[in-house]
Amino acid sequence: MSSPVDPSLPGASAQALEGPPLTTDAQSTSHDGPSDVDLMTGIQTGDPDALSQLYDRYNGIVKALVLRIIHNETEADDLLQEVFLEIWNQAKNFSAQKGKPLGWMVTLARRRAIDALRKRQAYARAEERLKAEPERQPLAWVQNTTAEEITSGDTRALMAKVISSLPEAQQQVIDLAFFRGMSQREIAAHTNIPLGTVKTRLELGLKKIYDSLKELKDEL
Amino acid sequence: MSFEEFQNSARLYVIGALEPEELQDFEAARKVYGVAAEEFINQCYSLHEAFALSLKPAKASAAIKDRLMAMVRERNERQSQSPPKS
Repeated sequence: MSSPVDPSLPGASAQALEGPPLTTDAQSTSHDGPSDVDLMTGIQTGDPDALSQLYDRYNGIVKALVLRIIHNETEADDLLQEVFLEIWNQAKNFSAQKGKPLGWMVTLARRRAIDALRKRQAYARAEERLKAEPERQPLAWVQNTTAEEITSGDTRALMAKVISSLPEAQQQVIDLAFFRGMSQREIAAHTNIPLGTVKTRLELGLKKIYDSLKELKDEL
Repeated sequence: MSFEEFQNSARLYVIGALEPEELQDFEAARKVYGVAAEEFINQCYSLHEAFALSLKPAKASAAIKDRLMAMVRERNERQSQSPPKS
């Protein structure tokens, strides 16, 4: 089921940074025109217009994710282009039976961004930037989410609300694991928190988010 | 490993946060729980989408799409011009 992962990623060498896409539709997004799956089918048959539409639909989300990981606007633009080129080249590996296109794209984008973060040795530079703005951590994760936006009911606000409802300590470790690709040991070393505490916080935080997603799915 | 423990590990697994020694136990439990394990792991990938959707969309340079589409169309043309492999 799982796909091979870049072995240069500490703590993740045999894990599923590039795995199958999600199966829940709790965060479904509605669009006019062809569905995401229709667009993926078009891409699989070599239709550039399908890729163009998919890009228009999701470039903002993909870039936000990449930017959140590498903290560099120029690199994020380059990676955005690489991710969509990979979507084009790897479309044959997408299966609608296994999940939704957005989940597949996010998984590709995250793996590529974390890979770039380490390979280009941008890690240290990002570290400096993060240290320069400690007041934004870990809440930068849900940056710019206002109460008004949360009550607007859009998908992003719902997701941000779920995540921001976690205790900050749990947000912090999940942020480091997901957006910076850190292993539990790396998080423990980075934060001076005992390894067991890191594990507990990760487990609790991820379970809460997962359970909230299930509830949202049921409501939708 | 109980199924609840497996579920906790699965959520760490999908974000690549299991330590190597935990991964061995996880893979062993994954075999034991079979189809139920695979189904749960698939569901856990919803976490990826949730994290991405929690972010405010970022604006990309218009030139990125132009470059991307030019590359894709060029590849398509190259492929259509190349002779079929015998």
